[in-house]
Amino acid sequence: MLELFPLTFYAISAAMILSALGVILMASPIFSALCLAATMTLLAAMFFMLEAYFVAAIQLTVYAGAVVVLFVIVLMIFDLKKEKQSFSGNWAINIAKIGISVASFLILAVPLGYVLARANPGWLQDRAPVSKDLALSLFGKYLFTFEIVGALLLVVLIGSVTLAKSKGGTHAEHHE
Amino acid sequence: MGQDVFEITINIVKIILIFLMMIQMVPLLVWLERRGSAFMQNRLGPNRVGPLGLMQLLADAVKFIFKEDFVPQYATKFLYLAAPVVALIPAALAFAAIPLSTPIHIEAFTKWGQSWGPYTIPMQSVYMNVGIIYVLAVSSLGVYGLLLAGWSSGNKYSLLGALRASAQMVSYELALGLAIVGVLLVYGTFDLNKMVELQSGPLSFAFMGKEFVISWLPQWGIFYQPVGFILFTVVAFAESNRLPFDLPEAEGELVVGYHTEYGGFKLLLFFMGEYGHMMVSSALIATFYLGGYQIPGLTVADVTNFFTSQVGAGTLASILTALVFLISFSVKVAFFLWVFIWVRWTLPRFRYDTLMDLGWRTLLPWTIGNVIVTALILFIAGQS
Repeated sequence: MLELFPLTFYAISAAMILSALGVILMASPIFSALCLAATMTLLAAMFFMLEAYFVAAIQLTVYAGAVVVLFVIVLMIFDLKKEKQSFSGNWAINIAKIGISVASFLILAVPLGYVLARANPGWLQDRAPVSKDLALSLFGKYLFTFEIVGALLLVVLIGSVTLAKSKGGTHAEHHE
Repeated sequence: MGQDVFEITINIVKIILIFLMMIQMVPLLVWLERRGSAFMQNRLGPNRVGPLGLMQLLADAVKFIFKEDFVPQYATKFLYLAAPVVALIPAALAFAAIPLSTPIHIEAFTKWGQSWGPYTIPMQSVYMNVGIIYVLAVSSLGVYGLLLAGWSSGNKYSLLGALRASAQMVSYELALGLAIVGVLLVYGTFDLNKMVELQSGPLSFAFMGKEFVISWLPQWGIFYQPVGFILFTVVAFAESNRLPFDLPEAEGELVVGYHTEYGGFKLLLFFMGEYGHMMVSSALIATFYLGGYQIPGLTVADVTNFFTSQVGAGTLASILTALVFLISFSVKVAFFLWVFIWVRWTLPRFRYDTLMDLGWRTLLPWTIGNVIVTALILFIAGQS
């Protein structure tokens, strides 16, 4: 019997970690954004391997297909030389970036690992959630939370439009 | 992938064959495009090399391969070389999820001192239960190829073309998704295979507890989603960046847009991506609205029974059935590919503001309206 699953799992994981490192270590913001897109795509591939097709497809559509595309468009319009200088060649900044990443990884991973270690392993072996289960929990049990998050995103959207519209904007010193 | 070596081998061969089939369509479409446009413009087109000019394709392919591999001075080399590949991959991946025909059943047999099977080989590269969303997700990655090409070329015409392309694709993706929601409501499934299976037999539906059967019409999606069909077709044109929506290339304004700096085989890869998108769009239109591989007036069981009576039950009858339905599907896809070419040489290009106007102020409200009306009708039809 061919055991392809572990092989592809480790290959995808390695590629994902490399591209995630690329997001913070690349000198050019464009390459950083592209590494982010690669990370999202590989994460979707991981979901595909776990047969959570719906989550994988949504992951691709929303993050790799829409959010990061907008990042890339914005980065392409800017003159990137200034940003590139401030990011590259400075070891203090690179070490700080790695330190912050490790710290935020620990902040996320420790509670998650704690929860997973105490969880009943049975739910992991259950069938992957299909779109119907997701819809029922999103629009049934967690409807209120879901709507609150939606309202929060709307506030963020209005806030960012207001910031961008205000005189000078967030990049005021660049426009002089 | 499969249970044993035989099934895995068959599946790998199948995936490669379907990919090659898609790639092989590209030169044929180029020929069709050049000859078709020529006849529409009252000239002959390429007709000197070989019968009907068909050998021109081979000559072109050889030319593409042997052209100088050129990288512009101000290009970002890695991205410049990667962009054509990135443009081709999404189209190829999206085509993998489309059911081309009925599954082939291979009877159990004994060979090499071992018993094998029975197998059921679906006639699509990858079977998955969320076919539609997968196709949407993968084709939303198509914009990267254009963006990277435009930015990495180090040419302002390329960059403008790429920005136009991405703005256009991101805008029309919204309408694309909403046009598909109508389809989802009607079929109640994400599975492209189930959708095709639901479209067999004569047009029959239940409305407020009464059954209606119209025997002279097939059970196709177009009769349930006539407005959705038109909207989806328009959006599919915009998503594949072809005339009348080829603003990213607009040769009168932008040289040729995002692939200005490309030549030789790299340019060919962009063509493959574009024609691949056309093929995926045509296949989706056929699957959603025209019954996929179904033949009007015939069910899968009819054809299987016919071949069983001719050659006996077994693997051969199953393969012949699959072949018949593959031809049926190809005819539908070929028709829509021809419509793509036909429209390209018939309509003039939009202006950029009218394009955005069409996307946001016309198609978006119409698709939302289509979803609301479909949901209302389905709700009323469900009452008894």
